[in-house]
Amino acid sequence: MPIKPIEPHISARGLSKTYRVVERGEGLAASIKSLFHRRYQNVDAVCEINFNIQRGEMVGFIGPNGAGKTTTLKMLSGLLHPSAGEARVAGYVPWERKTGFLKRISMVLGNKSQMLWDIPPMDTFRVLGEIYQVPRAAFQQTLDELVELLDMSALLTKPVRNLSLGERMKCELVAGLLHQPEVLFLDEPTLGLDVSMQNRLRSFFKAYNRTRGATIILTSHYMADVTALCPRVILIHRGRLLYDGELSGLAERLAPFKIIRFALTNGPAAIALPESAHLLPSEDDHMACRTSREDAPAVTSYLLNTYSVADLTVEDPPIEAVIDQVYQEGEV
Amino acid sequence: MNYQGGLALIKRTWASWLQARGFFWVLAFGWMIPPLIYLFVWSTAAGEQTVAGMDRGEFIGYYLLIILSNQLTYSTTNWTVGDVIRYGQLNTWLLRPLPPIFEAFAAEIAGKVVFMLFVLPVSGILALLLRPELHTTWMEGVAFVPALLMAWALRFFWGYWLALLAFWATRADSLLVIQDSLVFLLSGVVAPFALLPAGVAAVARWLPFRYMVGFPVEILSGQLPAGEMLLGFAIQIAWLALAVFLSIVIWKKGLRRYAAVGG
Repeated sequence: MPIKPIEPHISARGLSKTYRVVERGEGLAASIKSLFHRRYQNVDAVCEINFNIQRGEMVGFIGPNGAGKTTTLKMLSGLLHPSAGEARVAGYVPWERKTGFLKRISMVLGNKSQMLWDIPPMDTFRVLGEIYQVPRAAFQQTLDELVELLDMSALLTKPVRNLSLGERMKCELVAGLLHQPEVLFLDEPTLGLDVSMQNRLRSFFKAYNRTRGATIILTSHYMADVTALCPRVILIHRGRLLYDGELSGLAERLAPFKIIRFALTNGPAAIALPESAHLLPSEDDHMACRTSREDAPAVTSYLLNTYSVADLTVEDPPIEAVIDQVYQEGEV
Repeated sequence: MNYQGGLALIKRTWASWLQARGFFWVLAFGWMIPPLIYLFVWSTAAGEQTVAGMDRGEFIGYYLLIILSNQLTYSTTNWTVGDVIRYGQLNTWLLRPLPPIFEAFAAEIAGKVVFMLFVLPVSGILALLLRPELHTTWMEGVAFVPALLMAWALRFFWGYWLALLAFWATRADSLLVIQDSLVFLLSGVVAPFALLPAGVAAVARWLPFRYMVGFPVEILSGQLPAGEMLLGFAIQIAWLALAVFLSIVIWKKGLRRYAAVGG
Protein backbone atom coordinates (compact mmCIF):
# COMPACT_ATOMS: atom_id res chain seq x y z
CA MET A 1 0.00 0.00 0.00
CA PRO A 2 1.47 3.38 -0.96
CA ILE A 3 2.31 5.58 1.98
CA LYS A 4 0.42 8.86 1.89
CA PRO A 5 2.83 11.74 2.48
CA ILE A 6 2.03 13.81 5.58
CA GLU A 7 0.45 17.07 4.57
CA PRO A 8 2.30 20.10 5.92
CA HIS A 9 0.42 21.92 8.68
CA ILE A 10 0.93 25.20 6.84
CA SER A 11 1.76 25.55 3.17
CA ALA A 12 2.01 28.46 0.77
CA ARG A 13 2.35 28.17 -3.02
CA GLY A 14 3.02 31.26 -5.10
CA LEU A 15 1.30 33.37 -2.45
CA SER A 16 1.14 37.02 -3.54
CA LYS A 17 -0.58 40.17 -2.42
CA THR A 18 -0.68 43.43 -4.33
CA TYR A 19 -2.17 46.54 -2.73
CA ARG A 20 -3.64 49.34 -4.81
CA VAL A 21 -2.57 52.56 -3.16
CA VAL A 22 -3.73 56.09 -3.96
CA GLU A 23 -0.86 58.34 -5.01
CA ARG A 24 -1.13 61.99 -4.10
CA GLY A 25 1.28 64.91 -4.26
CA GLU A 26 1.90 67.38 -1.47
CA GLY A 27 -0.15 70.45 -0.68
CA LEU A 28 -3.65 71.79 -1.13
CA ALA A 29 -3.62 71.88 -4.95
CA ALA A 30 -2.70 68.19 -5.13
CA SER A 31 -5.38 67.25 -2.61
CA ILE A 32 -8.06 69.15 -4.59
CA LYS A 33 -6.87 67.54 -7.82
CA SER A 34 -7.09 64.10 -6.22
CA LEU A 35 -10.77 64.72 -5.51
CA PHE A 36 -11.47 64.55 -9.23
CA HIS A 37 -8.66 62.48 -10.61
CA ARG A 38 -7.04 59.76 -8.54
CA ARG A 39 -3.83 58.07 -9.50
CA TYR A 40 -3.20 54.60 -8.19
CA GLN A 41 -0.05 52.66 -7.75
CA ASN A 42 0.23 48.90 -7.34
CA VAL A 43 2.44 47.90 -4.45
CA ASP A 44 3.60 44.29 -4.36
CA ALA A 45 3.56 43.53 -0.63
CA VAL A 46 4.17 39.79 -1.08
CA CYS A 47 5.48 38.14 -4.27
CA GLU A 48 5.12 34.44 -5.00
CA ILE A 49 6.15 33.05 -1.64
CA ASN A 50 6.49 29.27 -1.21
CA PHE A 51 7.08 27.29 1.97
CA ASN A 52 5.90 24.31 4.01
CA ILE A 53 5.73 24.16 7.78
CA GLN A 54 5.23 20.86 9.59
CA ARG A 55 3.06 20.31 12.65
CA GLY A 56 4.80 21.39 15.85
CA GLU A 57 7.43 23.57 14.18
CA MET A 58 8.33 27.02 15.52
CA VAL A 59 9.29 29.30 12.68
CA GLY A 60 10.49 32.89 12.84
CA PHE A 61 9.36 35.29 10.13
CA ILE A 62 11.98 37.97 9.88
CA GLY A 63 12.51 40.95 7.65
CA PRO A 64 12.71 44.73 7.88
CA ASN A 65 9.64 46.97 8.32
CA GLY A 66 7.32 46.73 5.32
CA ALA A 67 8.90 43.46 4.14
CA GLY A 68 5.54 41.69 3.88
CA LYS A 69 5.63 39.60 7.08
CA THR A 70 2.37 40.81 8.54
CA THR A 71 0.64 40.69 5.15
CA THR A 72 1.70 37.04 4.85
CA LEU A 73 0.43 36.28 8.37
CA LYS A 74 -2.85 38.01 7.58
CA MET A 75 -3.31 35.86 4.49
CA LEU A 76 -2.50 32.70 6.45
CA SER A 77 -4.97 33.64 9.19
CA GLY A 78 -7.73 34.38 6.67
CA LEU A 79 -7.87 38.16 7.17
CA LEU A 80 -6.71 38.97 3.64
CA HIS A 81 -7.51 37.45 0.30
CA PRO A 82 -4.33 36.93 -1.72
CA SER A 83 -3.97 38.47 -5.18
CA ALA A 84 -2.60 35.14 -6.42
CA GLY A 85 -1.42 31.78 -5.14
CA GLU A 86 -2.67 29.20 -2.68
CA ALA A 87 -2.31 28.45 0.99
CA ARG A 88 -3.53 25.75 3.33
CA VAL A 89 -3.48 25.93 7.11
CA ALA A 90 -4.52 22.93 9.22
CA GLY A 91 -6.18 21.50 6.12
CA TYR A 92 -8.24 24.62 5.34
CA VAL A 93 -8.06 27.45 2.82
CA PRO A 94 -7.65 30.33 5.30
CA TRP A 95 -9.63 33.10 3.56
CA GLU A 96 -12.74 30.90 3.34
CA ARG A 97 -12.86 31.48 7.12
CA LYS A 98 -14.65 28.24 7.92
CA THR A 99 -15.66 27.83 11.56
CA GLY A 100 -13.46 24.71 11.88
CA PHE A 101 -10.46 26.72 10.72
CA LEU A 102 -11.09 29.69 13.01
CA LYS A 103 -11.38 27.35 15.99
CA ARG A 104 -7.98 25.83 15.21
CA ILE A 105 -5.97 29.03 14.87
CA SER A 106 -5.18 32.09 16.90
CA MET A 107 -3.45 35.32 16.05
CA VAL A 108 -1.95 37.44 18.76
CA LEU A 109 -1.13 40.95 17.61
CA GLY A 110 1.25 42.86 19.87
CA ASN A 111 -0.16 46.18 18.70
CA LYS A 112 -3.88 45.35 18.71
CA SER A 113 -6.07 44.37 21.58
CA GLN A 114 -9.13 42.19 21.73
CA MET A 115 -9.79 42.99 25.40
CA LEU A 116 -12.59 45.39 26.29
CA TRP A 117 -11.12 48.22 28.36
CA ASP A 118 -13.97 48.86 30.74
CA ILE A 119 -14.47 45.36 32.09
CA PRO A 120 -12.15 42.86 33.83
CA PRO A 121 -10.30 40.31 31.64
CA MET A 122 -12.28 37.45 33.19
CA ASP A 123 -15.48 38.72 31.50
CA THR A 124 -13.81 38.74 28.09
CA PHE A 125 -12.36 35.25 28.71
CA ARG A 126 -15.80 33.83 29.52
CA VAL A 127 -17.29 35.30 26.34
CA LEU A 128 -14.45 33.81 24.30
CA GLY A 129 -15.11 30.44 25.96
CA GLU A 130 -18.71 30.65 24.70
CA ILE A 131 -17.76 31.93 21.23
CA TYR A 132 -15.26 29.09 20.75
CA GLN A 133 -17.70 26.66 22.39
CA VAL A 134 -15.09 25.36 24.81
CA PRO A 135 -16.71 22.89 27.25
CA ARG A 136 -16.91 24.40 30.73
CA ALA A 137 -14.49 21.95 32.41
CA ALA A 138 -11.90 22.29 29.65
CA PHE A 139 -12.25 26.09 29.76
CA GLN A 140 -11.58 26.19 33.49
CA GLN A 141 -8.63 23.81 33.22
CA THR A 142 -6.97 25.74 30.38
CA LEU A 143 -7.62 29.05 32.10
CA ASP A 144 -6.09 27.79 35.36
CA GLU A 145 -3.03 26.50 33.50
CA LEU A 146 -2.50 29.70 31.54
CA VAL A 147 -3.05 31.90 34.56
CA GLU A 148 -0.50 29.90 36.52
CA LEU A 149 2.06 29.85 33.70
CA LEU A 150 1.78 33.60 33.28
CA ASP A 151 1.40 34.28 37.00
CA MET A 152 -1.56 36.59 36.55
CA SER A 153 -4.30 35.47 38.95
CA ALA A 154 -4.34 38.94 40.54
CA LEU A 155 -5.20 40.56 37.21
CA LEU A 156 -8.38 38.69 36.41
CA THR A 157 -10.79 40.98 38.19
CA LYS A 158 -9.22 44.38 37.49
CA PRO A 159 -10.60 46.50 34.62
CA VAL A 160 -8.26 46.18 31.65
CA ARG A 161 -7.73 49.95 31.50
CA ASN A 162 -5.93 49.76 34.86
CA LEU A 163 -3.39 47.15 33.71
CA SER A 164 0.16 47.84 32.51
CA LEU A 165 1.30 47.09 28.96
CA GLY A 166 2.92 43.79 30.02
CA GLU A 167 -0.13 42.76 32.03
CA ARG A 168 -2.39 43.50 29.07
CA MET A 169 -0.16 41.39 26.84
CA LYS A 170 -0.56 38.48 29.25
CA CYS A 171 -4.32 38.91 28.96
CA GLU A 172 -4.07 38.95 25.15
CA LEU A 173 -2.20 35.66 25.28
CA VAL A 174 -4.76 33.99 27.52
CA ALA A 175 -7.54 35.32 25.25
CA GLY A 176 -5.74 33.92 22.23
CA LEU A 177 -5.03 30.51 23.75
CA LEU A 178 -8.18 29.62 25.68
CA HIS A 179 -9.48 27.51 22.82
CA GLN A 180 -6.12 25.72 22.58
CA PRO A 181 -5.31 26.59 18.96
CA GLU A 182 -3.11 24.17 17.06
CA VAL A 183 -1.72 26.98 14.89
CA LEU A 184 -0.53 30.16 16.56
CA PHE A 185 0.43 33.34 14.71
CA LEU A 186 2.37 35.69 16.95
CA ASP A 187 2.92 39.14 15.47
CA GLU A 188 5.39 41.13 17.58
CA PRO A 189 4.17 39.56 20.82
CA THR A 190 6.89 41.15 22.94
CA LEU A 191 6.51 44.66 21.55
CA GLY A 192 7.24 47.26 24.20
CA LEU A 193 7.81 44.78 27.02
CA ASP A 194 10.71 44.87 29.46
CA VAL A 195 13.50 42.30 29.29
CA SER A 196 12.25 40.09 32.11
CA MET A 197 8.72 40.01 30.68
CA GLN A 198 10.15 39.15 27.26
CA ASN A 199 12.07 36.22 28.77
CA ARG A 200 9.00 35.03 30.59
CA LEU A 201 6.87 35.06 27.44
CA ARG A 202 9.57 33.24 25.49
CA SER A 203 9.60 30.44 28.07
CA PHE A 204 5.84 30.40 27.91
CA PHE A 205 5.75 30.02 24.09
CA LYS A 206 8.31 27.23 24.30
CA ALA A 207 6.25 25.41 26.90
CA TYR A 208 3.04 25.85 24.88
CA ASN A 209 4.73 24.52 21.76
CA ARG A 210 6.13 21.53 23.65
CA THR A 211 3.05 20.55 25.63
CA ARG A 212 0.41 21.11 22.93
CA GLY A 213 2.46 20.29 19.84
CA ALA A 214 1.26 23.59 18.37
CA THR A 215 2.71 25.06 15.21
CA ILE A 216 3.90 28.60 15.83
CA ILE A 217 4.87 31.35 13.42
CA LEU A 218 6.46 34.33 15.09
CA THR A 219 7.35 37.72 13.71
CA SER A 220 9.48 39.96 15.82
CA HIS A 221 11.98 42.72 15.47
CA TYR A 222 13.72 41.48 18.60
CA MET A 223 16.24 38.96 17.31
CA ALA A 224 16.47 37.60 20.85
CA ASP A 225 12.88 36.32 20.43
CA VAL A 226 13.80 34.54 17.22
CA THR A 227 17.09 33.08 18.42
CA ALA A 228 15.53 31.86 21.66
CA LEU A 229 12.48 30.26 20.05
CA CYS A 230 12.88 29.45 16.38
CA PRO A 231 15.31 26.84 15.05
CA ARG A 232 14.07 27.78 11.58
CA VAL A 233 13.66 31.22 10.06
CA ILE A 234 12.00 32.50 6.92
CA LEU A 235 13.48 35.78 5.79
CA ILE A 236 11.31 38.08 3.70
CA HIS A 237 12.48 41.28 2.10
CA ARG A 238 10.49 43.52 -0.24
CA GLY A 239 7.84 40.83 -0.44
CA ARG A 240 10.22 38.11 -1.61
CA LEU A 241 11.41 35.07 0.27
CA LEU A 242 15.18 35.39 0.59
CA TYR A 243 16.00 32.55 2.94
CA ASP A 244 14.26 29.56 4.48
CA GLY A 245 16.30 27.36 6.79
CA GLU A 246 18.16 27.16 10.08
CA LEU A 247 19.06 30.42 11.75
CA SER A 248 22.68 29.30 12.10
CA GLY A 249 22.75 28.51 8.37
CA LEU A 250 21.72 32.08 7.61
CA ALA A 251 24.71 33.36 9.54
CA GLU A 252 27.00 30.95 7.70
CA ARG A 253 25.74 31.95 4.29
CA LEU A 254 25.66 35.62 4.99
CA ALA A 255 28.73 36.07 7.03
CA PRO A 256 31.27 33.46 6.01
CA PHE A 257 33.72 34.61 8.65
CA LYS A 258 34.49 34.06 12.31
CA ILE A 259 35.58 36.45 14.98
CA ILE A 260 38.47 35.36 17.19
CA ARG A 261 38.68 37.16 20.51
CA PHE A 262 41.80 36.79 22.60
CA ALA A 263 43.65 38.31 25.52
CA LEU A 264 47.43 38.38 25.76
CA THR A 265 49.07 37.64 29.10
CA ASN A 266 50.69 41.10 29.19
CA GLY A 267 47.69 43.01 27.92
CA PRO A 268 46.98 44.44 24.43
CA ALA A 269 50.06 44.92 22.25
CA ALA A 270 51.00 45.49 18.63
CA ILE A 271 51.00 42.08 16.92
CA ALA A 272 51.45 40.69 13.44
CA LEU A 273 48.66 38.52 11.97
CA PRO A 274 48.55 36.16 8.98
CA GLU A 275 47.30 37.84 5.76
CA SER A 276 43.91 36.11 5.99
CA ALA A 277 43.09 37.76 9.34
CA HIS A 278 42.19 41.40 10.04
CA LEU A 279 42.55 43.05 13.39
CA LEU A 280 39.33 44.60 14.72
CA PRO A 281 39.08 47.62 17.01
CA SER A 282 39.65 46.24 20.50
CA GLU A 283 37.27 46.46 23.41
CA ASP A 284 38.47 46.44 27.04
CA ASP A 285 41.64 44.31 27.50
CA HIS A 286 40.64 41.80 24.80
CA MET A 287 41.75 41.95 21.18
CA ALA A 288 39.80 40.61 18.23
CA CYS A 289 40.39 39.67 14.62
CA ARG A 290 38.18 38.60 11.74
CA THR A 291 39.00 35.72 9.43
CA SER A 292 37.23 33.39 7.00
CA ARG A 293 35.64 30.23 8.38
CA GLU A 294 38.19 28.05 6.58
CA ASP A 295 41.17 29.97 7.91
CA ALA A 296 39.89 30.20 11.50
CA PRO A 297 41.69 27.05 12.76
CA ALA A 298 45.01 28.13 11.21
CA VAL A 299 44.79 31.67 12.60
CA THR A 300 43.85 30.29 16.03
CA SER A 301 46.84 27.97 16.16
CA TYR A 302 49.13 30.77 14.88
CA LEU A 303 48.01 33.01 17.75
CA LEU A 304 48.42 30.27 20.34
CA ASN A 305 51.88 29.28 19.05
CA THR A 306 53.25 32.78 18.49
CA TYR A 307 52.02 34.75 21.48
CA SER A 308 51.43 34.14 25.13
CA VAL A 309 47.63 33.91 25.08
CA ALA A 310 45.67 34.04 28.36
CA ASP A 311 42.21 33.58 26.85
CA LEU A 312 40.78 32.84 23.37
CA THR A 313 37.30 32.28 21.90
CA VAL A 314 36.12 31.74 18.32
CA GLU A 315 32.67 33.22 17.65
CA ASP A 316 30.11 33.71 14.91
CA PRO A 317 29.36 37.36 14.16
CA PRO A 318 26.36 38.64 16.17
CA ILE A 319 23.06 37.72 14.48
CA GLU A 320 21.87 41.34 14.60
CA ALA A 321 24.85 42.35 12.45
CA VAL A 322 24.07 39.55 9.98
CA ILE A 323 20.42 40.53 9.70
CA ASP A 324 21.30 44.19 9.40
CA GLN A 325 23.53 43.28 6.47
CA VAL A 326 20.60 41.58 4.67
CA TYR A 327 18.24 44.46 5.39
CA GLN A 328 20.78 46.91 3.99
CA GLU A 329 21.75 44.91 0.94
CA GLY A 330 18.40 43.23 0.26
CA GLU A 331 19.84 39.87 -0.66
CA VAL A 332 21.32 36.74 0.83
CA MET B 1 -25.53 28.76 14.79
CA ASN B 2 -23.74 29.52 18.05
CA TYR B 3 -26.48 31.31 20.02
CA GLN B 4 -24.68 30.85 23.35
CA GLY B 5 -21.72 32.78 21.95
CA GLY B 6 -24.01 35.54 20.66
CA LEU B 7 -25.75 35.80 24.02
CA ALA B 8 -22.42 35.98 25.86
CA LEU B 9 -21.32 38.74 23.50
CA ILE B 10 -24.47 40.74 24.27
CA LYS B 11 -23.93 40.34 28.02
CA ARG B 12 -20.31 41.44 27.75
CA THR B 13 -21.15 44.48 25.62
CA TRP B 14 -23.93 45.37 28.02
CA ALA B 15 -21.57 45.13 31.01
CA SER B 16 -19.03 47.27 29.21
CA TRP B 17 -21.59 49.91 28.18
CA LEU B 18 -23.07 50.10 31.66
CA GLN B 19 -19.64 51.21 32.86
CA ALA B 20 -20.13 54.33 30.72
CA ARG B 21 -23.88 54.69 31.27
CA GLY B 22 -23.59 58.43 32.01
CA PHE B 23 -22.22 58.98 28.51
CA PHE B 24 -25.00 56.98 26.86
CA TRP B 25 -27.70 58.66 28.94
CA VAL B 26 -26.46 62.08 27.86
CA LEU B 27 -26.62 60.84 24.24
CA ALA B 28 -30.17 59.57 24.80
CA PHE B 29 -31.14 62.90 26.33
CA GLY B 30 -29.76 64.68 23.24
CA TRP B 31 -31.86 62.48 20.95
CA MET B 32 -34.99 63.25 22.96
CA ILE B 33 -34.69 67.00 22.45
CA PRO B 34 -35.90 67.41 18.80
CA PRO B 35 -39.11 65.36 19.23
CA LEU B 36 -39.66 67.10 22.58
CA ILE B 37 -39.41 70.52 20.89
CA TYR B 38 -41.94 69.48 18.23
CA LEU B 39 -44.18 68.01 20.94
CA PHE B 40 -44.42 71.48 22.47
CA VAL B 41 -44.70 73.23 19.07
CA TRP B 42 -47.62 71.11 17.85
CA SER B 43 -49.42 70.81 21.18
CA THR B 44 -49.23 74.60 21.55
CA ALA B 45 -50.38 75.07 17.92
CA ALA B 46 -53.36 72.82 18.57
CA GLY B 47 -54.30 74.71 21.76
CA GLU B 48 -57.97 73.96 22.43
CA GLN B 49 -58.58 73.17 18.73
CA THR B 50 -57.50 70.33 16.47
CA VAL B 51 -54.87 70.35 13.70
CA ALA B 52 -55.46 67.80 10.91
CA GLY B 53 -57.84 66.00 13.25
CA MET B 54 -55.39 65.80 16.18
CA ASP B 55 -55.95 67.62 19.45
CA ARG B 56 -53.40 68.64 22.08
CA GLY B 57 -53.52 65.38 24.02
CA GLU B 58 -53.16 63.32 20.84
CA PHE B 59 -50.11 65.33 19.76
CA ILE B 60 -48.53 64.68 23.17
CA GLY B 61 -49.33 60.96 22.91
CA TYR B 62 -47.96 60.84 19.37
CA TYR B 63 -44.69 62.58 20.26
CA LEU B 64 -44.05 60.57 23.43
CA LEU B 65 -44.36 57.47 21.25
CA ILE B 66 -42.06 59.07 18.66
CA ILE B 67 -39.47 59.59 21.42
CA LEU B 68 -39.67 55.89 22.34
CA SER B 69 -39.71 54.69 18.73
CA ASN B 70 -36.78 56.94 17.82
CA GLN B 71 -34.71 55.61 20.73
CA LEU B 72 -35.62 51.99 20.08
CA THR B 73 -34.84 52.13 16.38
CA TYR B 74 -31.77 54.39 16.47
CA SER B 75 -28.70 52.39 15.55
CA THR B 76 -25.57 53.61 17.35
CA THR B 77 -23.65 50.62 16.03
CA ASN B 78 -23.49 51.89 12.49
CA TRP B 79 -21.47 54.87 13.61
CA THR B 80 -18.79 52.53 14.94
CA VAL B 81 -18.77 49.95 12.12
CA GLY B 82 -16.98 52.41 9.81
CA ASP B 83 -14.28 53.00 12.45
CA VAL B 84 -13.94 49.28 13.03
CA ILE B 85 -13.17 48.81 9.32
CA ARG B 86 -10.99 51.93 9.04
CA TYR B 87 -8.77 51.22 12.02
CA GLY B 88 -8.43 47.49 11.43
CA GLN B 89 -10.37 46.41 14.54
CA LEU B 90 -12.37 44.28 12.13
CA ASN B 91 -9.42 41.85 12.32
CA THR B 92 -10.54 40.79 15.79
CA TRP B 93 -14.11 40.24 14.60
CA LEU B 94 -12.96 38.23 11.59
CA LEU B 95 -10.69 35.92 13.58
CA ARG B 96 -13.55 34.62 15.72
CA PRO B 97 -15.73 31.68 14.75
CA LEU B 98 -18.87 33.81 14.95
CA PRO B 99 -20.40 35.88 12.13
CA PRO B 100 -19.09 39.46 12.64
CA ILE B 101 -22.61 40.89 12.44
CA PHE B 102 -23.16 39.34 15.89
CA GLU B 103 -20.85 42.03 17.26
CA ALA B 104 -23.14 44.67 15.74
CA PHE B 105 -26.28 42.93 17.03
CA ALA B 106 -24.73 42.63 20.49
CA ALA B 107 -24.01 46.36 20.56
CA GLU B 108 -27.54 47.09 19.30
CA ILE B 109 -29.32 44.98 21.90
CA ALA B 110 -27.02 46.00 24.74
CA GLY B 111 -27.44 49.63 23.71
CA LYS B 112 -31.23 49.43 23.73
CA VAL B 113 -31.21 48.13 27.29
CA VAL B 114 -28.83 50.86 28.49
CA PHE B 115 -30.78 53.64 26.74
CA MET B 116 -34.15 52.39 27.95
CA LEU B 117 -32.96 52.53 31.58
CA PHE B 118 -32.97 56.30 31.03
CA VAL B 119 -35.68 56.87 28.42
CA LEU B 120 -38.50 54.84 30.01
CA PRO B 121 -38.51 56.65 33.37
CA VAL B 122 -38.15 60.05 31.68
CA SER B 123 -41.00 59.30 29.24
CA GLY B 124 -43.09 58.04 32.16
CA ILE B 125 -42.61 61.28 34.07
CA LEU B 126 -43.42 63.32 30.94
CA ALA B 127 -46.58 61.24 30.43
CA LEU B 128 -47.67 61.91 34.04
CA LEU B 129 -47.03 65.64 33.65
CA LEU B 130 -48.44 66.20 30.15
CA ARG B 131 -51.40 63.75 30.12
CA PRO B 132 -51.25 62.25 26.62
CA GLU B 133 -54.25 60.75 24.82
CA LEU B 134 -54.14 57.56 22.81
CA HIS B 135 -57.00 55.90 20.97
CA THR B 136 -55.76 52.45 20.09
CA THR B 137 -57.67 49.35 19.07
CA TRP B 138 -56.30 45.95 20.04
CA MET B 139 -55.61 45.23 16.39
CA GLU B 140 -53.48 48.34 16.12
CA GLY B 141 -51.71 47.32 19.30
CA VAL B 142 -50.89 43.94 17.76
CA ALA B 143 -49.79 45.46 14.43
CA PHE B 144 -47.55 47.94 16.26
CA VAL B 145 -45.15 45.21 17.46
CA PRO B 146 -43.99 43.86 14.06
CA ALA B 147 -44.03 47.39 12.62
CA LEU B 148 -41.67 48.55 15.38
CA LEU B 149 -39.38 45.51 15.05
CA MET B 150 -39.15 45.98 11.30
CA ALA B 151 -38.61 49.71 11.75
CA TRP B 152 -35.58 48.89 13.90
CA ALA B 153 -34.35 46.28 11.40
CA LEU B 154 -34.82 48.65 8.46
CA ARG B 155 -33.04 51.53 10.20
CA PHE B 156 -30.25 49.21 11.32
CA PHE B 157 -29.64 47.47 7.96
CA TRP B 158 -30.03 50.70 5.99
CA GLY B 159 -27.33 52.30 8.14
CA TYR B 160 -25.29 49.08 8.08
CA TRP B 161 -24.90 48.97 4.31
CA LEU B 162 -24.02 52.66 4.30
CA ALA B 163 -21.43 52.07 7.04
CA LEU B 164 -19.96 49.14 5.09
CA LEU B 165 -19.09 51.51 2.26
CA ALA B 166 -16.08 52.27 4.51
CA PHE B 167 -14.46 49.33 2.71
CA TRP B 168 -14.19 51.71 -0.28
CA ALA B 169 -14.44 55.26 1.04
CA THR B 170 -12.71 55.91 4.35
CA ARG B 171 -15.28 58.37 5.71
CA ALA B 172 -18.45 56.77 4.37
CA ASP B 173 -20.09 57.41 7.74
CA SER B 174 -20.87 60.93 6.54
CA LEU B 175 -23.72 59.27 4.63
CA LEU B 176 -25.23 58.37 8.01
CA VAL B 177 -25.63 62.09 8.70
CA ILE B 178 -27.77 62.35 5.56
CA GLN B 179 -29.79 59.32 6.66
CA ASP B 180 -30.38 60.93 10.07
CA SER B 181 -31.46 64.21 8.46
CA LEU B 182 -33.92 62.45 6.14
CA VAL B 183 -35.29 60.43 9.05
CA PHE B 184 -35.76 63.66 10.98
CA LEU B 185 -37.58 65.35 8.08
CA LEU B 186 -39.60 62.53 6.58
CA SER B 187 -40.27 60.02 9.36
CA GLY B 188 -42.76 62.02 11.37
CA VAL B 189 -40.46 63.86 13.79
CA VAL B 190 -40.78 67.39 12.39
CA ALA B 191 -44.47 66.80 11.82
CA PRO B 192 -46.76 63.77 11.78
CA PHE B 193 -46.98 62.27 8.30
CA ALA B 194 -50.57 63.48 7.91
CA LEU B 195 -49.39 67.08 8.32
CA LEU B 196 -46.65 66.99 5.67
CA PRO B 197 -47.29 69.08 2.51
CA ALA B 198 -48.90 66.92 -0.19
CA GLY B 199 -45.82 66.85 -2.44
CA VAL B 200 -43.47 65.92 0.41
CA ALA B 201 -45.88 63.30 1.72
CA ALA B 202 -46.13 61.71 -1.74
CA VAL B 203 -42.34 61.31 -1.82
CA ALA B 204 -42.05 60.29 1.83
CA ARG B 205 -44.67 57.57 1.36
CA TRP B 206 -42.39 55.67 -1.03
CA LEU B 207 -39.01 56.34 0.61
CA PRO B 208 -37.75 54.12 3.45
CA PHE B 209 -37.38 56.81 6.15
CA ARG B 210 -41.01 57.04 7.28
CA TYR B 211 -40.90 53.31 7.99
CA MET B 212 -37.91 53.67 10.32
CA VAL B 213 -39.62 55.70 13.08
CA GLY B 214 -43.04 57.18 12.33
CA PHE B 215 -44.93 54.28 10.78
CA PRO B 216 -45.32 52.13 13.95
CA VAL B 217 -46.34 55.24 15.92
CA GLU B 218 -48.95 56.15 13.29
CA ILE B 219 -50.36 52.63 13.71
CA LEU B 220 -50.47 52.76 17.52
CA SER B 221 -51.97 56.24 17.62
CA GLY B 222 -54.79 55.10 15.35
CA GLN B 223 -53.93 57.36 12.42
CA LEU B 224 -53.92 54.68 9.71
CA PRO B 225 -56.95 53.00 8.12
CA ALA B 226 -56.49 49.26 7.44
CA GLY B 227 -55.68 49.74 3.73
CA GLU B 228 -52.98 52.35 4.47
CA MET B 229 -51.53 50.12 7.15
CA LEU B 230 -51.24 47.15 4.80
CA LEU B 231 -49.66 49.28 2.08
CA GLY B 232 -47.25 50.63 4.72
CA PHE B 233 -46.27 47.10 5.78
CA ALA B 234 -45.68 46.13 2.14
CA ILE B 235 -43.42 49.14 1.56
CA GLN B 236 -41.61 48.55 4.86
CA ILE B 237 -40.97 44.89 4.05
CA ALA B 238 -39.76 45.73 0.53
CA TRP B 239 -37.25 48.32 1.80
CA LEU B 240 -36.12 45.97 4.57
CA ALA B 241 -35.52 43.17 2.06
CA LEU B 242 -33.50 45.56 -0.11
CA ALA B 243 -31.47 46.82 2.88
CA VAL B 244 -30.65 43.25 4.00
CA PHE B 245 -29.73 42.29 0.43
CA LEU B 246 -27.44 45.32 0.05
CA SER B 247 -25.82 44.61 3.43
CA ILE B 248 -25.02 41.03 2.43
CA VAL B 249 -23.70 41.91 -1.03
CA ILE B 250 -21.61 44.86 0.17
CA TRP B 251 -20.21 42.83 3.09
CA LYS B 252 -19.10 40.02 0.77
CA LYS B 253 -17.59 42.34 -1.82
CA GLY B 254 -16.05 44.59 0.83
CA LEU B 255 -14.40 41.71 2.62
CA ARG B 256 -12.59 40.70 -0.55
CA ARG B 257 -11.35 44.24 -0.85
CA TYR B 258 -10.52 44.63 2.80
CA ALA B 259 -6.93 45.59 3.26
CA ALA B 260 -6.38 45.30 6.97
CA VAL B 261 -4.73 48.48 8.10
CA GLY B 262 -1.39 48.74 9.84
CA GLY B 263 1.47 46.40 10.58
